[in-house]
Amino acid sequence: MNYPSEDILRRAIAFVAALGVGVATYIAIVESGGGSPVCLAGGTGCRTVAESSYSHVAGVNVAIFGVIGYLLLLATAFFANDLARFGGFAVSLGGFGYSIFLTYIEIFKIEAICQWCVASAVLMTILFLLNATRLVAYGGNELQEAR
Amino acid sequence: MNDGERRTKLMQLASGAVFLAIVVVVALIVLNSSNSDSGGDAESIEGAAEVSSSLRGIPQDEMTLGDPKAKVELVEFGDLQCPVCKGFAEEILPPIIENQVKNGEVKIDFRNFTIIGPQSVDAAAAALAAGAQGRGWNYVELFYKNQGAENSGYADDAFLEAVAKAAGVKDLAKWNEDRKLLRPQVEETTTEAQQLGFNGTPSFAINGPGTQGLETLGTPDSTGAFEEAIEGAG
Repeated sequence: MNYPSEDILRRAIAFVAALGVGVATYIAIVESGGGSPVCLAGGTGCRTVAESSYSHVAGVNVAIFGVIGYLLLLATAFFANDLARFGGFAVSLGGFGYSIFLTYIEIFKIEAICQWCVASAVLMTILFLLNATRLVAYGGNELQEAR
Repeated sequence: MNDGERRTKLMQLASGAVFLAIVVVVALIVLNSSNSDSGGDAESIEGAAEVSSSLRGIPQDEMTLGDPKAKVELVEFGDLQCPVCKGFAEEILPPIIENQVKNGEVKIDFRNFTIIGPQSVDAAAAALAAGAQGRGWNYVELFYKNQGAENSGYADDAFLEAVAKAAGVKDLAKWNEDRKLLRPQVEETTTEAQQLGFNGTPSFAINGPGTQGLETLGTPDSTGAFEEAIEGAG
């Protein structure tokens, strides 16, 4: 199978992770000030989601975990070794799994959709696909040759 | 370890991680679906601290929130079971309460206009009884925060009492007594709303130096529209 070069994958991961840092930082900053992210098109879902009990884990806003996750993913893009490949895969897998859970909660429990959370879930899904491809194509390969 | 062995090891680790992630996500979803409904749950009344902090320091007299001497009075006719009223309480009115009510410019009187079902009347009387103990607005706001599906039967005695407790109603025996006695008042305000020509909730009216008695506003659709009405009435 023809995989994109690891260089391209790393650049893509860095780009998407940087977007993720932006989105998660925005949510974290707005919510730390007691507000809620402003929904595009004047929706009210963001406020409902931000005020729900699911927006915090152990007293910490989940957006903070998001910022940390995206920063870690950004960091893995700067190294071409197995630790970075597996680390990126593991972090994005965790983020992707948690995004599935949060999306389930939004739809079925809170019954409100926050576009910023959806944006983050989409970015995390892309990062998971990129990191999974990177690991499968280049894992165990100190030289950057696709298998 | 050569490249091939490293690769095998990595793939095993990755498969394990995927398996673990699937188990954790499924477990989280199953755990969270077991206490399934959103709202209308007497066992878990949410948002009490939030409501009490948003209303802290604002005088309450029966169902009126704000300085009793405020020049302008905004009257809300609402049904506690109504999801649109919940939306107003959570999205449109908070800035008015935070600004114009807190600075003494306006007071808001909540009057029950029960149009949805029999449990609307039970809920309305429960709110009035909380109002008799200075907790009327805490009750209304907390009810909205925990509102269930219209006429699904959630607003039973257990739910109404759980909201009363969470709203900070001190004397529950008195509250229980009052909510029976205050039922006629629910009918009165419902009739009043009909006489004003309202046929849906929430509906609003305003009274102040700039109005000719109580003037109907209908259902303003934004915080800005309320601000304008308050300014016009002041």
